Amino acid sequence: MDADSDVALDILITNVVCVFRTRCHLNLRKIALEGANVIYKRDVGFLLTEERNIYTFIYTYSNGKIVWYMAERENSKRVGSRHLNCKIHYKGFQVIFTDFKVVNVLAVCNMPFEIRLPEFTKNNRPHASYEPELHPAVCYRIKSLRATLQIFSTGSITVTGPNVKAVATAVEQIYPFVFESRKEIL
Amino acid sequence: MPGGRRCPDCDSTELVEDSHYSQSQLVCSDCGCVITEGVLTTTFADEGHLREVTYSQSTGENEQVSRSQQRRCLRRVRDLCRVLQLPSTFEDTAVAYYQQAYRHSGIRAARLQKKEVLVGCCVLITCRQHNWPLTMGTICTLIYADLDVFSGTYMQIVKLLGLDVPSLCLADLVKTYCSSFRLFQASPSVPAKYVEDKEKMLSRTLQLVELANETWLVTGRHPLPVITAATFLAWQSLQPSGRLTCSLARFCKLANVDLPYPATSRLQELLAVLLQMAEQLAWLQILKLNKRSVVKHIGDLLQHRHTLVRKAFRDGTAEMEACEREVQGQRQGEEEVGDSSLDLPVRKRPASPALLLPPCMLKPPKQLRPTPPVCTVTGDENISDSEIEQYLRTPEEVRDFQRAQAAGQAAKSLPNPL
Repeated sequence: MDADSDVALDILITNVVCVFRTRCHLNLRKIALEGANVIYKRDVGFLLTEERNIYTFIYTYSNGKIVWYMAERENSKRVGSRHLNCKIHYKGFQVIFTDFKVVNVLAVCNMPFEIRLPEFTKNNRPHASYEPELHPAVCYRIKSLRATLQIFSTGSITVTGPNVKAVATAVEQIYPFVFESRKEIL
Repeated sequence: MPGGRRCPDCDSTELVEDSHYSQSQLVCSDCGCVITEGVLTTTFADEGHLREVTYSQSTGENEQVSRSQQRRCLRRVRDLCRVLQLPSTFEDTAVAYYQQAYRHSGIRAARLQKKEVLVGCCVLITCRQHNWPLTMGTICTLIYADLDVFSGTYMQIVKLLGLDVPSLCLADLVKTYCSSFRLFQASPSVPAKYVEDKEKMLSRTLQLVELANETWLVTGRHPLPVITAATFLAWQSLQPSGRLTCSLARFCKLANVDLPYPATSRLQELLAVLLQMAEQLAWLQILKLNKRSVVKHIGDLLQHRHTLVRKAFRDGTAEMEACEREVQGQRQGEEEVGDSSLDLPVRKRPASPALLLPPCMLKPPKQLRPTPPVCTVTGDENISDSEIEQYLRTPEEVRDFQRAQAAGQAAKSLPNPL
């Protein structure tokens, strides 16, 4: 196996966080009273909605900002957000769906080899942080991409980034470094 | 008379503005009732411009209250270093780190609990940079802190100060931790047959910990349970006749050491590795060892451990591949034949010897997602014109990738400070 040879890695997107605005003030109390599956946190100032069928948590703020934490695919975010917008519209608010933005993407990727974490940390010192007393994985930060990777000894890598392209680029960049520290058959 | 207001006590309209120790007040001149008070100002610039600021924004809060808190915390840093019997240079370094951290507003405005935890963080960072073996658990016990709070503060301070903290050296930790075991001198609580020579036990424990490191039992795990299990096995193996009946919990009690919760699992994993290695030795194969009796032969196994581990890996991989091929052949045969009348249970996993892999690989996690269908894509297919755009990088992506590569190369070319 060579680091430069073509390797097909599946990057599975597990969670996506997106934000959009409704451009109107929302009466959280009214939505909480009339809505289903909602928790109104008055002290903190948001409404928490759980949509189990689409594996979603929705945080609604009174200034019209809605934060959407969703599992699985990114493409369905816009559809789900519009669906939520319609629900709020039916409660009498004049909502406008604007400023949709994906702010965070969590993806998982499996390398076809195990990784020696102490060696990897030693070779990539400023960016890699390994504290086995706290967490079993190495935390590797790529500042230019604003991405964080959690590298486990089994070869599994969890990537968090601002968008899917950054996540893919981060995996491309980390591959040669983890390849150097892979487990060798003795 | 400002604003046509009246005194609530005597209903007088004779109200005057008076400054009492730099605090402006609206006072009734007839009865002396204070109607309103202004805000204390302590900044010279704001007083000069007759503007009022809140106390938390004033310079007085930064100088007076924080200085006394800082002095108290610095004293705690020095006390902690003395309790741990650290050299004086460590003390000065830890104090310098604390002062550096205290200059950041986020730390200055933090709660007292966090500032006290910061004391432990500075001492830990200093010890790590000088390769002094000290665990987070020890620090948390000494400063009565919760590990979650400690870990958050530690990560924050490392990032804030931009420090390079090397990993804990396992060999040094073994020496320090083993030295705390009270088994090297006879005492009323430790019978004579349980007393052991310190140097022998230390060298055997080090070998067992190295073996655990090679066989993936240490990576990603807390080091102390592994060291405890290795120390117990080393102690048992040095005089197995009288010590095989002693359990791990009793051993820790005799040694006056806490038993970490995962130590029992680590012990079982280490024994499984030793059993695998024993199968490679010709004179041990006929003895049919188990997890109890293999302890007597730990000395022989450690003497040849590099060869035995290599053999166990290679043989285990070859046998696993052979079993997988056998099972695949069996399954194909069963599909062709159809239902069997003998009604034998279908084997889900081949009965193969356990491989020397990380324990989490031997027990793979449950698959929550259905496996995708096997696709026949080879990667050599022609790309249609409509899809070609997906395979080309945009200029922004090219730029980002080049920047990331350059940062990686620059990081690699930096000299290692250690």
